[in-house]
Parts: sequence; C-alpha cells; structure tokens
Amino acid sequence: MTAILGFLTFDYNTRVVLLGTLSLGAAAGVIGTVALLRRRALLGDALAHATLPGVWIAFLLFGKNFSFLMLGAMATGLLGVATVSALSKYTRIKEDASIGIVLSVFFGAGLMLSGWVHHNSTNASQSGIDSYLLGKTAGMLASDARFICVVGLIVVAAVLLLYKELKLLCFDPEFAAVQGWRVGLLDFALMILLTATTVIGLPAVGVVLMVALLILPGAAARFWSDRLSVLLVLAGVFGLVIAGTGTMVSAAAARLPAGPVIVLCGTVLFAASMLFAPRRGVLARWSRTRSHRRRRVRQRIVQRLFEAFEKDASIALASLSELSQRIRVDRRSFNRAVNRLIRDHWIVVGSGGVGFTDHGWDRALRTVRTIRLWEQYLLTHANIDRDLVDPDVDVIESLLSTAVIHELELGLIESGRLPRDHRNTAIQAPPTASREVPL
Amino acid sequence: MLFSSPTADSSNAPLPDGAPLPPIEVHDLTVAYGRKPVLWDIDLEFNEGELVGVVGPNGAGKSTLIKAMLDLVPSASGWVRIYGEPYAARRKQVGYVPQRESVDWDFPVNARDVVLMGMYGRLGWFRRPSRKDHHTADECLEKVEMSAYGDRQISQLSGGQQQRVFLARALAQDARIYVMDEPFAGVDAATEASIVRVLRDLRAEGKTVVAVHHDLQTVEEYFDSLVLLNLRVVANGPTSEVFTRDNLLATYGGRLTILDRAAEAVRRGGGPRIDRP
Repeated sequence: MTAILGFLTFDYNTRVVLLGTLSLGAAAGVIGTVALLRRRALLGDALAHATLPGVWIAFLLFGKNFSFLMLGAMATGLLGVATVSALSKYTRIKEDASIGIVLSVFFGAGLMLSGWVHHNSTNASQSGIDSYLLGKTAGMLASDARFICVVGLIVVAAVLLLYKELKLLCFDPEFAAVQGWRVGLLDFALMILLTATTVIGLPAVGVVLMVALLILPGAAARFWSDRLSVLLVLAGVFGLVIAGTGTMVSAAAARLPAGPVIVLCGTVLFAASMLFAPRRGVLARWSRTRSHRRRRVRQRIVQRLFEAFEKDASIALASLSELSQRIRVDRRSFNRAVNRLIRDHWIVVGSGGVGFTDHGWDRALRTVRTIRLWEQYLLTHANIDRDLVDPDVDVIESLLSTAVIHELELGLIESGRLPRDHRNTAIQAPPTASREVPL
Repeated sequence: MLFSSPTADSSNAPLPDGAPLPPIEVHDLTVAYGRKPVLWDIDLEFNEGELVGVVGPNGAGKSTLIKAMLDLVPSASGWVRIYGEPYAARRKQVGYVPQRESVDWDFPVNARDVVLMGMYGRLGWFRRPSRKDHHTADECLEKVEMSAYGDRQISQLSGGQQQRVFLARALAQDARIYVMDEPFAGVDAATEASIVRVLRDLRAEGKTVVAVHHDLQTVEEYFDSLVLLNLRVVANGPTSEVFTRDNLLATYGGRLTILDRAAEAVRRGGGPRIDRP
C-alpha cells in the first residue's frame, strides 16, 4: 500500500508512465476480447513473438528511436500474421501448426539478431531493448508513455467506431459476407489494431507474455456478462487494473520484470472470476447443480410416497425404510431430503411411517401430475422441443398450451394414471413435528 | 471505395418493372473443391413467388449450390443471376438463413441483437441501429413467435428457437428472395409449424423462397417446386411432376432402404417418417 501511495506521489514522469500502462491495459483488454471472440487469441501470441526481430532491425537501422522501434515491431509482427494466414491458406498446414512455426521462427530470429547486435555493438546493452523480452516500466520515457497512451486511445476509439461491424464479424462472418461486408478488410483492421496494441505493450509487458494481457481480461470478463457491450467495458477495466497493479508492483520491487507480475495479477483476477462470478462461475454452477439434485431427490420421495398411497388407499402411513429402498440415493441425501420435507410441512412422521400433511397432499398432487403429464408428453409428442421438458417446473401450464395439456390428461385418464386425491389418509401435522427421522 | 457501404456499390440497380426476369437463374454452374467437383453443370431457373425445395442425399452439393448462389464459394465455371444481375448487384434483394451449426451460440448477444444484424447491410458502415430498427427487429421476432425471447441470451434458447431467430434475422433483411440452408433440420414440431407459416406468408407476399430440405415426407406439403440434386440436377420443376419414384431412385442411387421408405411415403402421402436420409 505504501508502495502504491509512494508511486502516486512520484514525479510527473512516473505518473505519465503509469498513464501509459493504464491505457495499454485498457486497449489490450478491449481489442483482446474482440480477438478472443474472433478466435484469434493464439494468433496474438505468434504476433507478439514476431515483433522481436523488427525491434532489433529498427535498432540496427535507426538506433534507439522509440517510434522507429515500434514501427519495426509492427512490420515484422504483421509479416508474421500474414505468414500464418498464407501458410494455412495455400499449404496443407493447419492454422495451429502455422502459428507454431511462425512463433518459433520469428522469435528465434529475434533472439539471434539480439545476440549478434550485442556481440558487435557496445551500446546495445545500454539501449534497454533487452527488457522488451519480459517487460520493464522503469526505463520508460515520458515521451514513450505519451506515444503508448495515444495509440491505446486510438485502438479503443476504433473498436467503438467499428463496434457493430466487429460484432457481426465475430458472430457470423459468412452472414457478413452475404450482406456485402468486406470480411477480409474487417479482419485486416482487427489485425492492425491487435498488432498496434501488442507493439505498445512490448516495453511494459514484453514479447513473451503480451498475449496474457490480451486474453486474460476478456476471458475473466466473460464470466460476468452475456452482453458484448458490457463485456468490452469490463474487459477494458480489467486490463487497466491488471496493467496498473502489475506496473506499480514491479516498479516498487525494482528487480521484478513487469511482464510476469502483470500476468500474475491477471491470473488472480481470472481465477477469482472463474470461481466466484454469479451464474457463470464454477461455484455458482456447482451450487446450482447441487440444489437441483437435492430437489430431484425430494421430488422422487414425494412421488414414491404418493404412489404408495395410490396403490393402497387404506394405509395412513408408509414405511420410511421401504421408501428409502425404492429411491436409490445414498442414505445421507435421503435423510436430508426427508428432513427438509418435514421442515417444510409436506410430510409428518407418525408411528410406523410417514404421511402427507394437508399441504403436502396439495403439493404432491401437483408434482405427480406434472411428472406424469411430461411422461405422457414424451410418449405422444415424438418430435418435440426437448429443451422444453422440465419436470422441475411446477406449473406445466406455463410451457404448454391448454389444449395440449387437456389432450395429455385424457391420455392419463385412459391409462388410469391421472393422480387422484386420497385425502382420507391425510393426517394433521402435529405442532411439534419430530426433526429426527428414524430409519 | 474502401469505406463504401457494404451494399451500396450497384446493389441499388432498379428492378425492371414487370419484367419477366426470373428471381434466380443458374447457368452451367460448376463448383469444385480442389480437383473434386461438387456441382456439375447446374442449370436452373426459379419462378417468382414460389417455395422451392432443394432435395438430395448427403454430399449432393445442396449447401454448395446455396452458397454458390450467394457468392460464398467460387465457381469453376458458369454463372448465377439474381433478377438478371450478378449477386453482388442484388444483395439487398436476398435474405439468408444459414445452417444453425454454422455459428457459436455461446456468443455474448441476445436474440434481438442477432435479428438486428439482418439490418446491418442496409445501415452501412459505422451507423448504429436506430430505435425504429429495434422496433422492426421485435416485429420480426413476433413473426416467428419469439417476441417473449428478445432479451434472452442466445445460448439459453432451444435449438428450434435458435433456428427461428435466424429466420427472424433473414426477415429483418426485408428481401424479395430468401435462401435457406436446412431451416427444418432438427427442429421441434412447434418450430416447424412456425417456419411453415412464415414461408407461406412470404409466398403470399410474392416472395421467392429456396430452401434445402431433408424430410422427404413433408416435401410435397411444403414446396411448390423442387430441385432434385445429386452433384447434377436430376430433376427440376413443379413438385407434382418431379416428386416421383423414378426421380427419387435417380437422386438417391443405391440407398435402397431409404428409397423403399421414400417410395412408400410417396405412394401413401404419409407413412413412416424419414429423417435425414
């Protein structure tokens, strides 16, 4: 915390550097999400690695001029992307292999150039370009940061401007082509934006890990929203937070390269989103599955109990151990379900077994009716929308028309399976229903 | 012309008044993937205001024919004309319903967003859909009985509902010709009924519909004309004349079980359902 405060009270230059990395993070989050949706995430990695030779070539030709270094990176980056698409299009090599080839060959060339420059030039090690591998923000000049900031803003503005076009491109490129959109041109624009973002990320994040800053914000944001507009904003904010935190931590701990720190921050954010996001998160899904499973057990207990009375209307209570044998779930789940039904006053425990309360009878009639109507529906309507069938839904009326339900009921009456009310066996709930279920 | 509207170029070429130009005309069309031809010398002409079914076995080139009409696959020879012009000049006259499996339904948009995409071509570069466009999208959803699902994320829709969203998107294109790739594939009864209703409404408005179809049992009921396809056109014409046992034999070749069932279906106008021959 003191490190952060200390950083904020730093001089003008440092604040400009921070501004640069923040806009880099936002731009990477936004354009990375688009690339993710267009399934170009891996291409982003090849692209980042392919920028390295460009940096060194630019250094050899023009010396250490930031704009030229960026232009050089952009040139070989785009060349790498073009090579990937050419390899996949004109040869029998598939895209994943092309990406692998380009990534390693270009990166290898970059490392070789780096070694050669170091051997033949004295000022190479002082140039700071070595840090383009893993990222370092400390050496960034205010003018460099301003450059990064401007490019980042341009990228975000371009995505806003092309929002509709990129949305269509990512969802259904074929439909886009039918409407006359130049899909190739749009993809090219996306690649340019992605390359520009990657290139301005080199000084801060580095070649090796740049792809993480592109992918992690969007991947994390996907757990929080189902709407593209929200997703883009969220990814931008996530990218900003990741890049900002990473930069400050790495600047505070002088010997940590910025790239890995930023990736770690991103990983934490991603993991937290994956686990804790409502609805789409892993924990939310897990708890939904669990409550669904428990509901199914209760439903089956109610159904089997109802059937026991249906078979023999004279009995007032049904044996619980017999019930548990007919429902093949483990003992703990069974006990939990029975306890819950008692607590909700659906069933009561008497001497020698369980029975429905008045309320329980109402609910059981409805549950069994719904289940049997769905069974009948599956039998009689072969070509149905299977996603509609949901035995958990209390009111089948909300999904099927009255006419269909009437028809199904007639079918149940014919086969004598329409649930009838045997209320005579109902017993009143004692005021203090036992919570312990003897089994 | 880098930033011209996607449909501006010459797609506004006026339709000649009352001219007898066929909505779609295919001449000597051959399409090949690599060295393997998938369509040979296709000659077709469709009549305005008809529902046309394209029928044939798997791998017969049905989808390829559709895609060749829409310039989505390059043709080795021959040409396609839409109201006498190449497709590029007539984009706005054509609505398209692709196969449902052609997209990722986990994409972060809702049903209305997808329908709105039907209007993107008309909107052109940079312009966003207006409130009126949103209203039109809702109307299109209503036509396929999906108005209750406009705000639903598309992965939360059933297969049949997704298919109807695609149909609504094509309706939003407000075209004169609709080209559909298996609109009935794997849909439930309610969706099938809904799609059939939409197709008949389109015909009543004088629109032309060309649809790839799989279910031989419903062919006679749904379509006015047929194209029986198996790499080449086996037969083409009014359903009542073309949908015969001999033609089906020629189209489906040695697939005897299917042929027998199909023949039975033809004879009885009903019988066992034949899904995905």
